[in-house]
Amino acid sequence: MNQDPTKRWVAVIGNPNAGKSTLFNALTGLRQRVGNYPGVTVEKRTGTAYTLHGEAIELIDLPGLYSLSPRSPDEKIAWQVLRGESPGVPRPNAVLCVVDASNLERNLFLVTQVMELGLPVLVALNMVDMAEAKGVRLRPEELSQKLGVPFIPTQAHRGKGLVELRAALGQSLTHPGPRQWTMPPPLAAAVGQIAAAWRESLPAEAQAEGKALELLAGSNRGPEGAKKLALAWRERFGKEAYDWSAAVIHARYEYVRNLLGEAGVLGNKRVASWTDWIDAAVLHPVAGWGVLAVMMLSLFVSIFSIASYPMDWIDAGFTWAGQAIENRMPAGVLRDLLVNGVLAGVGGVVIFLPQILILFFFLGLLEDSGYLARAAFLLDRVMHRVGLSGKSFIPLLSSYACAIPGIMATRTVEDPKDRLTTILIAPLMSCSARIPVYTTLIAAAVPVALVPVWGKALGMLGLYALGTGTAFLLAWLFRKKMLGGGSPPLILELPPYRRPALRTVALKMWERAVIFLRRAGTVILALSILLWFLSSFPVRSDDPTETLAGSYAGQLGLWIEPMIRPLGFDWRIGIGLVASLAAREVFVSTMSIVYHVGGEQEGLVAAMQSATWPDGAMIYTPVTCLSLLVFYVYALQCLSTVAVAKRETGGWGWPAFMMLYMTGLAYGAAWMVQIVGRALGFS
Amino acid sequence: MDISSLNLTQVGPGMEVRVSRLECAPNTCQRLREMGFCENALVTKIRGGADLVCWVCGTRVALSARLAKQILVEHVDGRS
Repeated sequence: MNQDPTKRWVAVIGNPNAGKSTLFNALTGLRQRVGNYPGVTVEKRTGTAYTLHGEAIELIDLPGLYSLSPRSPDEKIAWQVLRGESPGVPRPNAVLCVVDASNLERNLFLVTQVMELGLPVLVALNMVDMAEAKGVRLRPEELSQKLGVPFIPTQAHRGKGLVELRAALGQSLTHPGPRQWTMPPPLAAAVGQIAAAWRESLPAEAQAEGKALELLAGSNRGPEGAKKLALAWRERFGKEAYDWSAAVIHARYEYVRNLLGEAGVLGNKRVASWTDWIDAAVLHPVAGWGVLAVMMLSLFVSIFSIASYPMDWIDAGFTWAGQAIENRMPAGVLRDLLVNGVLAGVGGVVIFLPQILILFFFLGLLEDSGYLARAAFLLDRVMHRVGLSGKSFIPLLSSYACAIPGIMATRTVEDPKDRLTTILIAPLMSCSARIPVYTTLIAAAVPVALVPVWGKALGMLGLYALGTGTAFLLAWLFRKKMLGGGSPPLILELPPYRRPALRTVALKMWERAVIFLRRAGTVILALSILLWFLSSFPVRSDDPTETLAGSYAGQLGLWIEPMIRPLGFDWRIGIGLVASLAAREVFVSTMSIVYHVGGEQEGLVAAMQSATWPDGAMIYTPVTCLSLLVFYVYALQCLSTVAVAKRETGGWGWPAFMMLYMTGLAYGAAWMVQIVGRALGFS
Repeated sequence: MDISSLNLTQVGPGMEVRVSRLECAPNTCQRLREMGFCENALVTKIRGGADLVCWVCGTRVALSARLAKQILVEHVDGRS
């Protein structure tokens, strides 16, 4: 690893929802996911911050923790970084603890643990404005004096206190003093002996007591003598039914309460707030579901109504570009490549950017406002019935945007079987890449004039419901029947409602736009050019339809047609299915190229509606469109999802299973749609 | 009703109680304690129902009723 040895590394740590990532963003300017929901940061992020003297410091933003007893994968990441065991990141030189000033009791509990890591500690007393509004009297100087580490008041969301924080980071931070909390007698004896044994072997170890506690907790790292002693004490405590870990937690909390009392930090009594008023409706067993349904319906109506304006502009832009090329360039292979390959392929996908941004805007608002945790709470009962806990809901909800962050967000799920089940079903939640496919096929299935916007939104909602319902059904099958065991109980912090920071939401939208456009400019552009080549050569006739049928892509489509014919799909749809194996949205760009319609959605829809079988029968009947829609609801047409599932499950076995079951499900369900549709008399 | 028989699900919304004992799996107990549900900690139940919401250590925490049944409590004035 090539790293500058003189550069200082500082880990940023704190309870979930303490504003840690917001502070990290404010200090580094890096864009990353920050939300008003516990467990938003699931992967360590690094960024460069500068002290007031211009010294560059590398900050490592860690997932939120309640304690240094790692149980879930995201907590283990934080733990590994703090111990210097994380690949690619050196052991930090110091720790910046971000604490929620309105909730010092629980936040300082973690600080007392961090202080035993043997690293200099700096505390950012964050969200002081909210604490003061709640009547909490803060005394940073007294806290600094009592705890022996600097406390800097900050309001990360408003950029306040950053100068002071940068100044403090620039000073040489000192190590915290010796432990101040009182260990209960039986434990004190055990820790004293184990620490002494540790120091005998490794006299330089300054934090022998902390190491002794780690050994008692089951760590296997340390001198043999200390390890043997720890094992003996563990057995003794077991025989005596002495819960030493509970005793440690009690002692720390006791110390923190006394400290806050001595420092004169007052307040923190519960007073009824507007969060309670909102919760009365949002968490209501009946009204809560109504609120959730209205939110989801608003989202889908917005996707169809508001997005239609910028989509028309993009459409007009690509049409103008296509015409400009046709007017200025002589007819030939290059013009055909630019108009029917590049513009048709890229334009066919880029046009859906507004819809994807609206989806992320809504998800950002829900996350940032604190509603997402309530949705998880509301859905816990449903999730429990299928063997999962409410915690799995958040990764699943993230999967509506994209399965990749959704699968990564499963790191917040502690139970390994719950986590695996959530990973297996996450791609069934309709992601934003399906939006182009859904909107195109819904438009092809039903005439524009006959169906109002809300009708299309309902159709879209139905597809999302189909994916979600099936995901829950399969979760039940996988979790309860295949993997076995009970589901863990729900323990979830509900943060207070906050006005969403539009800057944070805008940053997320920008991030997604960059990712989407980068993908359109790389993967989709490359696949479009490849597909244009495969569908244009060899040239055997002047008739585009005959050329396509005789092309490499056409031959492939004709070869697989017998397999997809039962689903109502012809060879041209077959080309789309094969081309979109890597990414679903490629289906739309492929069909634009196949039908030679440039980048406009209306042209593609018209071409699909007029496409016929050799006997003159319509290909895109409502039943076939539905069959194709159902296929895309279920099929795992995304190589990036397979790659991230491989990384998160640690092998190819589960991703292969995911691919097989989803493809089988997609084929079977699409076939059933045809059978039922025909049986009901639809052609 | 003795001290050990009153659990968090049996307390009315708005009531403040003191945690007397946790009877869940060790890992769950530890997580609860770390989040503030220590023995002797004061907890206010905000909402009841199949899943419930409590106020502990300055934050709202949602718990499944299954777990809340394993959190034994006593009234703050010592009544069980």
